Amino acid sequence: MTYLLTQLANGLSYGLILGLIAVGFVIVFTSTGVLNFAHGSVLLAGAYLVAVLHDPIGFWAAAVVGIAGAALLAVLINAVLVRNLAEANPGTAAILMLGVDILLLTELTRRIGNRVLTIGSPWGADVFSFGGITLPMSRVIAAGLAIVVFALLWFLFARTGTGIAMRAAAADGDTASLMGIRLSRTGAAGWALAGALAAIAGIFLASFPAPGVAPTLAISAFAAIPAWVLGGFDSVVGAIVGGLIIGVVTALAVGYESELHFLGRGLGEVVPYAVMILVLLVRPSGLFGRKEAVRV
Amino acid sequence: MKHRTRTALALAGCVAVLAACSTEDPNASGGGGGGGGEGDVETGNGVTDDTITVGMLTDLSGPFAAGAAIQVTQTQAYYDQVNEDGGICGRDVEVQVQDHGYDPQRAVTLYRSMAPEVVALQQVLGGPTSAAVLPLAEADGLYLGGHGWAGVALQYENAQIPGTTYAIESANAIDYLVDELGLSEGAKVGVVYFVGDYGSDSLAGAQYAAGERGLEVVPQEITPRDTDLSAQASALQQAGVSAVILGAAPGQLASLAGVLAAQGLDVPIIGNTPTFGPSLLETPAGPALEQNFYTVTSIAPYSLDEPGVQAARELYEAAAPDGELGWEVPLATAQAELLSAALEGACEAGDLTPEGVVAAMRETSDLDTEGLYATPLDYTEVTEPPTRTVYVSRASADAEGGLEVLGTFEGPSAQSYTVG
Amino acid sequence: MSDLLRRLPVALAVLVALGLPVVLDGFWLQTGLFAMAAVVGAIGLTLLVGIAGQLSLGHAFFAALGAYAYAWSVGEVGDRAAGAGLPPILGLVLAGVVAAVAGALFSPISGRLRGIYLGLATIGLVFLARHLMVNLEALTGGFNGRAVEPFSVPGFSFSNDDPDYLAIAGVEFGGLHRLWYLFLVVVLLAAWLGRNVKDSRTGRALANVRDSEAAAAAMGIHVARAKATAFVISSAYAGVAGALMALAYGRIAPDLFGLQLSIDFLVMIVLGGLGSIAGAAAGAAFVVMLPLVLTQYSSELPFLAAPGSGGLDGATLARLLYGAAIIAVLLFLRGGLAGAAGRLRHRRSPPPPDTSGLPPAPPPSAAPASAAVPEPSHPGVPTRSKETTS
Repeated sequence: MTYLLTQLANGLSYGLILGLIAVGFVIVFTSTGVLNFAHGSVLLAGAYLVAVLHDPIGFWAAAVVGIAGAALLAVLINAVLVRNLAEANPGTAAILMLGVDILLLTELTRRIGNRVLTIGSPWGADVFSFGGITLPMSRVIAAGLAIVVFALLWFLFARTGTGIAMRAAAADGDTASLMGIRLSRTGAAGWALAGALAAIAGIFLASFPAPGVAPTLAISAFAAIPAWVLGGFDSVVGAIVGGLIIGVVTALAVGYESELHFLGRGLGEVVPYAVMILVLLVRPSGLFGRKEAVRV
Repeated sequence: MKHRTRTALALAGCVAVLAACSTEDPNASGGGGGGGGEGDVETGNGVTDDTITVGMLTDLSGPFAAGAAIQVTQTQAYYDQVNEDGGICGRDVEVQVQDHGYDPQRAVTLYRSMAPEVVALQQVLGGPTSAAVLPLAEADGLYLGGHGWAGVALQYENAQIPGTTYAIESANAIDYLVDELGLSEGAKVGVVYFVGDYGSDSLAGAQYAAGERGLEVVPQEITPRDTDLSAQASALQQAGVSAVILGAAPGQLASLAGVLAAQGLDVPIIGNTPTFGPSLLETPAGPALEQNFYTVTSIAPYSLDEPGVQAARELYEAAAPDGELGWEVPLATAQAELLSAALEGACEAGDLTPEGVVAAMRETSDLDTEGLYATPLDYTEVTEPPTRTVYVSRASADAEGGLEVLGTFEGPSAQSYTVG
Repeated sequence: MSDLLRRLPVALAVLVALGLPVVLDGFWLQTGLFAMAAVVGAIGLTLLVGIAGQLSLGHAFFAALGAYAYAWSVGEVGDRAAGAGLPPILGLVLAGVVAAVAGALFSPISGRLRGIYLGLATIGLVFLARHLMVNLEALTGGFNGRAVEPFSVPGFSFSNDDPDYLAIAGVEFGGLHRLWYLFLVVVLLAAWLGRNVKDSRTGRALANVRDSEAAAAAMGIHVARAKATAFVISSAYAGVAGALMALAYGRIAPDLFGLQLSIDFLVMIVLGGLGSIAGAAAGAAFVVMLPLVLTQYSSELPFLAAPGSGGLDGATLARLLYGAAIIAVLLFLRGGLAGAAGRLRHRRSPPPPDTSGLPPAPPPSAAPASAAVPEPSHPGVPTRSKETTS
């Protein structure tokens, strides 16, 4: 029983981090129509900044620089590249992001090399125990912080002018534009948010129990794609729920691998995608997706 | 009409081409082929009157770039010294290096360009890359070394495995757990391994040995992408393991050791050769590693006090004063020594062709490496590893390269394990 | 006359391709084989993305299916990994058929999702494929993969044996040379079929679906079926491409068919210009050859550091150039390479509407993907009237 609870807690905390990444995918997609394949390398760039800066300027300052840096990087990608596409459509934009991803990742990989760069967080390898369940402290903090971030996002989208403008632009760009909403601004805000969220997720993905910042961190953003898709492409709530589902399912598949042996070894890698395909078979627009996403 | 003309033209073209066809090999009757005739040594690809060219297909831009760079540096340094001392067979040895970036497609293509220009491949690094190149090199009869320790390579006559296999490392690990660390019959051992030729080989050896020694294996498969092993660690704790064998990379070791320590599971962790990297001791998992981590390697760790390793260290520190230290240094030296021995053998036999180098390698029955390996190496049997003895070491921040050698070891199930 | 002019470059290219093996060495032959295998897959994908407006990141899955279907059907009975011992030509056909059937089985999703949504859903297939390849060891040989029997027709093998020695114009023709011609035939067949699909009723129906599903439905096109059909055709191409890859490698393993392969396919067709068959071929050749050629010849480029010395080495430069090329084409070349070539060719005719590279901002809404490519910029595509006159 404790074992089940431990794995559930593992899964939920990991799922919340995935949610942070998936929400970034959603916001970029709804605000500018771009499938952001460079999300992972933005995440890595943020974490890398924290890893190299925590020694000279301290962890908290480094974290702020890392988050701001990732947000700035995302905004620049949008302003310099995405908005200058020769043919603006989601397909070419996605490929453009692949190109950006290759550039960023190649350079970061070269800088990091084979070193394991620690993130230098004050919680280090501490653990948190409650009722027989042990969780790494970094995961507990990540979960708490993610919930706070999600609440702030809700506040932003529901109560602030910028947020409402972003929602309007996402719902119907042309109309929003006619109503005087500057789409370039809502787009930039969306990219900045996504970059910041990715950097936060990156800091926690590089914290204990992971050893530190390594180029594989960029690939971990791909793990959030099933979460995003099964949540329904354009729904922030869907992305969060999707993250939780994927996190829990993955943790259970790994935790009970010996019981699930008949499905083959190495289930943890394939289960998120299997769940995604199953959900799409039943609901092509995902759990929370707008019906408009799929017609006919 | 137009179509008919076109067809006729096409037919005419075919006939013209066919006229130039031949299925008679003009060289077939002309003896051995190749350069031949230079004094008493027959030569072929990659050997001229004054140079011998060997190739390295390695990963200088992919996931193993750092370790691969150490090996390239050390190999170059080794042959520079060989050339200073008069070379091999009266010729200088030249190393041609190409970077496949851990991409099998690039490895295969670069192999095609390299194969006609070298007499042997000093190294083809990486599991998927060497798996793609090995059958091609076998078809060409080309010596291929430095491809890691996966047991699957033992089916190739042309492959020179640099030590024992991962399976035998892990079998030794189980024997060591029983004989030296006091695990009793019925105890459970977790095996956390990468899916693939490396990890799966490690698992196979552990499972065999566990069966022999009355232990039970709890397997946990992971991929190189998994750097957070919390779920696996919880599963191992739930299963009640008294030791863990790890067939993965440094990132996974740091995570696993850290989480196990955090959960209060104070059990030995034994890793295969590629599992450890010295920079791990600076991560939060460092103390846990110093307490519980052992590694079983057929190649000597960097800090071993034996003449062969000593010489390798001196050579490396002169070539790369600021280079990173690790087991790659003795490994690269050993690999270069193995190939040099094969080249010398081929020279003595008067057949310095690619086939001659493979033949010479297969006649090596008692190669002493002065401590780079724990025992002399025997390559006469294709399907047999050249040695079954490993060095057992512990993580230690005081030792150079982060590993302190405890001694050599060869357990009963490592001796009886059959490869393949 | 203009017809002849249009076909001249293609005919020339074919002639050159026929003669090349006489002068090329192993490196270039192997590079060419990989490139031609990619060309087949890219043509299939450009039919799906460019004509039907559907996106797929799952083509590595179908290529894997084709590769293993070929390896299995041609493999020897009773070998380490199972085989059926069928004639290789049947194996090649089977590779396409198996992939097409898998594509059809995916139609509940491929028929209902469009554009980028489908692209994301298909990522799942790649990971599913890897799981199956690693775990179905009896068929696939597991992680270590399985050997691939060489292609042969009775009395002639496309390998180094049977006949053991074959020379044309004094150059020994080994396995790589022989495979070159096999691949060339398949590529030409694939291009010809692709053009026919594009100009057929199905092709036009697909283009309609791409431009407006509602309008297409109003014209009596069964939209879901049209989308599923495009997916099936495209999958068959990927399957054949996979079989060619298997032949070019001589041994296949799960690692060859990762997400990177899917991504590479997509990059090829976008660089080449969506919907253009010649463009897909050019894009495929570029994507495959760039890293191979740069690493091979990096030592001869003075500004590059030796591998391992810590500086900018050939492989890193290849990655950077690859990324930069993608970005540059998307920012400055409307319609990719094919679009640029088309504009060059039409210089003398009225200037194209836009060469200044001033694009509209991307649609801000979550508008469904519609890969609207300006139709007239496709070279090498005969119009309907020409087709009927010849």
